[in-house]
Amino acid sequence: MAWLAANLAFITAILVVLPQIVGDFWAFTLALFLLYAVACLGLGLSWGQAGLLSLGQGFFLGFSAYTSGLILIGFSTSAWLFPLLGLSVIAPGLIAYVLGCMIFHGRTRNTAFFAIITLALILLAAQIATAWESVTGGYNGLRNIPGLPGFSELEDAYTLSAVALGLSMMFAAWIMQTPLGVLWRALSQDERRVAFLGFNHNQLKSVAFGLSGLFGGIAGTLYAPQNSLVTPDLFGFLLSTSFVVWVAIGGRNTLYGPVLGAIGIGLATNTLRESVSFWEVILAVIFIVAVLYFRKGLTGTAEPAVKRWFERNARARKPAPARHSAMTFDRIAIENLNLSVGNVGILEDLDLNIGSPGIYCLIGPNGAGKTTIFNAMTGELEAQSGTVSMLGTRGIKMDARTQAIAGLGRKFQVPSVFDELTVGENLAIALWSGRSSRRDLLRLSLLDWESPVLTELERRFPFLTDRRQMVGSLSHGQRQVLDLAMVLCTEPRLILLDEPCAGLSLAETNEVIGTVRWAVDRFQATAMIIEHDMAMVRELADHVFVVHNGSMLFEGSVAEVQSNAAVQAVYTGGTK
Amino acid sequence: MDPVLIANGLNISFEIVTLALVAMGLAVTLGLLGVLNLAHGEFVMIGAFCAFFVQEQGLSYLWAFPLVVIVCIVIGWPVERTIIRALYSRPFDTILATWGLSLLLREIVEFFFGPGFNSVDQPVSGTVNIFGADYPLYQLLVMLIAVVLIGALVAWYVKSSTGRRIQALVDNPDLAKSVGIPTIALARNTFIFGLCLAGIAGVLLAPIVAVYPGMGIDHVLKSFFVLVVGGLGNVVGLVVGSGVIGGAESIVAAILDRTAGYTFVLIVALLFLWKKPGGLVSR
Repeated sequence: MAWLAANLAFITAILVVLPQIVGDFWAFTLALFLLYAVACLGLGLSWGQAGLLSLGQGFFLGFSAYTSGLILIGFSTSAWLFPLLGLSVIAPGLIAYVLGCMIFHGRTRNTAFFAIITLALILLAAQIATAWESVTGGYNGLRNIPGLPGFSELEDAYTLSAVALGLSMMFAAWIMQTPLGVLWRALSQDERRVAFLGFNHNQLKSVAFGLSGLFGGIAGTLYAPQNSLVTPDLFGFLLSTSFVVWVAIGGRNTLYGPVLGAIGIGLATNTLRESVSFWEVILAVIFIVAVLYFRKGLTGTAEPAVKRWFERNARARKPAPARHSAMTFDRIAIENLNLSVGNVGILEDLDLNIGSPGIYCLIGPNGAGKTTIFNAMTGELEAQSGTVSMLGTRGIKMDARTQAIAGLGRKFQVPSVFDELTVGENLAIALWSGRSSRRDLLRLSLLDWESPVLTELERRFPFLTDRRQMVGSLSHGQRQVLDLAMVLCTEPRLILLDEPCAGLSLAETNEVIGTVRWAVDRFQATAMIIEHDMAMVRELADHVFVVHNGSMLFEGSVAEVQSNAAVQAVYTGGTK
Repeated sequence: MDPVLIANGLNISFEIVTLALVAMGLAVTLGLLGVLNLAHGEFVMIGAFCAFFVQEQGLSYLWAFPLVVIVCIVIGWPVERTIIRALYSRPFDTILATWGLSLLLREIVEFFFGPGFNSVDQPVSGTVNIFGADYPLYQLLVMLIAVVLIGALVAWYVKSSTGRRIQALVDNPDLAKSVGIPTIALARNTFIFGLCLAGIAGVLLAPIVAVYPGMGIDHVLKSFFVLVVGGLGNVVGLVVGSGVIGGAESIVAAILDRTAGYTFVLIVALLFLWKKPGGLVSR
């Protein structure tokens, strides 16, 4: 809470002092930039937190400026005025959310597409605002919009904007700290991993975009009465581009970045545009340099130090609740799986059956199709024919998220952890998987969750207790272990591990082997492990599958596999 | 046949062909190089200003062609060196950086020429009678040149090994380099070639559109939509995409109005992004 209190003090100080410095006339100009700052704060949430670059943030500001203007013109004396204005605040948020759902729930994975769609959106809005003259006033816009009743003085405009910005910043500061904020930052780094941990990544993104729309709505609703004029310029790509520039230079990942960017650069532009003729050019160059070399912007570079100052003290950890669905063992049956990518056949009539819990190793030469089996199971690749039955389904396809909730944990070959989050946050995300409701994601107490499994993992791998460590600074081996720990924290019933010991030291390898054995026993789980290291296979495997050329060559105990002539032939290069 | 129908048909064909012409440069940078250059439209704009500039200097319109190639090389070379090359591995930042570049180019042009609208005189005037419909000669010429350019691009891409070498470069730069492909020069030249195509499209369009610094946005957006609908695979995709986007827009615009046409195109592009992100003609 110290962090929030410090924010409040800082904001209040700025807002009280500023009009004294700049005078009344300037306070009015400043009020406009305070509103822009609110819109930029929204852009900071969607772009800086969730990684969704919107080139059309002006759309939401413009939309609610028009609705607010029309409401003020039509209902200025009505008792319904304020409820209606409330709608004009909320509407852009809803539009953004629905739009987000439509865009993200498709197969569009490319973030570039999102940026282009938002750009198209403002150009379309500008067209409609110009063409639909009877409602929008066309090119000249809505004119003579009355002020808000009771807030008609110049100082009132400033006060209203300042209060709106202050409250918006409080809200943003809070939501960035919640588990939801952590998940946004996680999915901006590795969306697939978030899905594989059982979160609805598309909905998380839609919520972020929805909130950015809501902030635009707040700004726009206040914009109309303050300026008494609303024109299609609000939908111009110039304004939306300015938002992106301000947020990028200010620092998109921080709370203050977008705000300082909007107020500082916005005001500077307003002042210098006339006197320094090259100003816009200079600004564009600064922006490009920031994108290339200072991706965190001005405040992003300073924030870690500031944040450490207010770092939350270690708080009492709370036990995490049990997983919503505790799965019991279910058989795994892969039948006649055929899978090819392009014209390269990878799996041919592959069968694989597992009838009881335990550790199953998949071995086979490089290119045999081992990882492809995992990819077919988790839906990363689509098989042309054949069925996979597991986790209580009989050949029904599930998406990664549903599988994770049903008890599947997958560790990829390359460690996929969230580099720009702390160890604690990485582990916390895994703990939330399958245990948190949507509402829970707004509770700060989730950050303090612990579980017996996590405690045991921390005992085995002491580096996990240094929860504030940034993951990006861990060694390769530690990242592999963290990845495994995250999978195990979800207490899966079916564990898919792809070379969990690749690149580990001997000591680490032994610890990992012990941990996998412990976890499988504890969860009564089934583990399928792709492994090349025969020493490890001997140590771990209850049963071995030998895959060769996309088919099952042989299966049996370690001893049976090692004495099998066909397996020997494959490994020693003999003919089949 | 009804002359009105023919005139409409010619107008729609013109929309489609010029759209393909404008999208061609983006097809090269995005389709071949994988670089989404959001400043693409600004190079179209620069091309148009080249035409405006030579006419203002009292020179023949034709001088705009060598001028735009020189300008694109002079701008493209350092841009590729400082921005694009640093970001091949960071595609998301490429969008941002080229968006910044588009802003920069607009501001520079605005600094020299002002924000207002300019017009360029048509180098050839008069109309041609095609099956009873009078059609401007210049528009007809632009269509012909565009078709020839697209044809030349196809011929070059199919005949030479450059296309395959660019493919190798994008798929695996290290391997491409180790088999002797001069990757750095190849990527640079491809990028600059894409810019020149955009610039030439701008010169050709200048006499029939309003020339102003902000004119590029519309072009980059529609070019992108063309590639979304048509797919990044090959020239067939470019033509098909232009046909769908250009055709849909001009038909809906003719029946209802411009805004409806624009909305319709946006919805079509959204549906493609949503349901068929690979486009109609996949690689």
